[in-house]
Amino acid sequence: MGFDPLLQSKGLMDDQNLPDDEALVRQTQSGDTRAFDLLWKKYSPRIYSLIYNMTANHEDANDLLLEVFAKAYRSINGFRGKSSFYTWIHAIAVNMTINFVKKRGRRFQMSLDDLDANVQNDKEFIDLTAANTPVREVDLSELQHRLNEAMMKLSVEHRAVVTMFDIQGMAHAEIAKILGVPEATVRSRLFYAHRQLQNYLEEFRKK
Amino acid sequence: MMLDEQQLQKLLRLKRFEQPPPGYFDRTLNEFHRRQRQELLRPPAVQIWFERFLSSLWSFRVPSYAYGAAFAAFLVAATIVGSGVWAPYKEMVGTSSNLAKVASSPVIERSSYRLALSGNVDWSNFNPSSVSPHVVPVVRPSQTALPRYVLDGRPVSYEASFSF
Repeated sequence: MGFDPLLQSKGLMDDQNLPDDEALVRQTQSGDTRAFDLLWKKYSPRIYSLIYNMTANHEDANDLLLEVFAKAYRSINGFRGKSSFYTWIHAIAVNMTINFVKKRGRRFQMSLDDLDANVQNDKEFIDLTAANTPVREVDLSELQHRLNEAMMKLSVEHRAVVTMFDIQGMAHAEIAKILGVPEATVRSRLFYAHRQLQNYLEEFRKK
Repeated sequence: MMLDEQQLQKLLRLKRFEQPPPGYFDRTLNEFHRRQRQELLRPPAVQIWFERFLSSLWSFRVPSYAYGAAFAAFLVAATIVGSGVWAPYKEMVGTSSNLAKVASSPVIERSSYRLALSGNVDWSNFNPSSVSPHVVPVVRPSQTALPRYVLDGRPVSYEASFSF
């Protein structure tokens, strides 16, 4: 499943001591709301990150996060465990976000979360800034804006795949299950999205 | 120099560092609880609509002349219907005189469930059920029915004698 080490280090996903999802779901289905709170604690950072990277807007991500969990809570009695809770709630989040972004259209403003100060110590960031790449030439907040602008030029379906694969580190098979498409589709969407992003970022460098 | 695939992936992974402020998820959980409670307390939409409808009924004031107008309209309608000037529709009853008319001028045009008589028509293609549901199936008496009223050895009527 590949939980985010950054979030875990901040104690946001301290899920080692939590009961497994199946037990939590069963308890929630029998009316134990505290069990659902634990599911929230376990998955809200990942779901938030997924929505945030697809919308590039903190307020929208906040509203959608609440709506996704409200929908999950309302429909949890219908959850039969054919897929994992993880896949199920991700599928709800992706579908709701895709619908939201399509309704929103082009009328939106980026409202980005702050970059964590730890980014400066991240090995990948150091590698990137040391190499002769466009990253070297821009400061951090500019880089954040450029990346997000490039992401927002992708279609929402491509953005979903890039978010889950590149940012959240999910496997192709897992993404395919969440989106309900063949793995080959996931791979081709990724390939196309990467090409697009490379072109957009190259254009930025030329400006 | 263009970013290669690996560099692009490294760059995208940096987006993990875009984080909401500390304590955000705990605060949002409280907000989630608050919304859940609100949802539980909120009455269903049908109930809200019904209550609004009822209150609008109570607040609705009928002008005094409307009662008089309604009574007058009722009287006019009752007079028209009661005097037989207007009837919703007339059924064509299969009496002997009607049958005679149909037989002598046998064109039946379909026009809003009425029979119109004109011109010549090939009776072999006539299908009463396709023309109108009001064509009464009393065109001829059943083979097994016995005449109820006989005059000079010829049947005059198939109806019960008490209806004469």
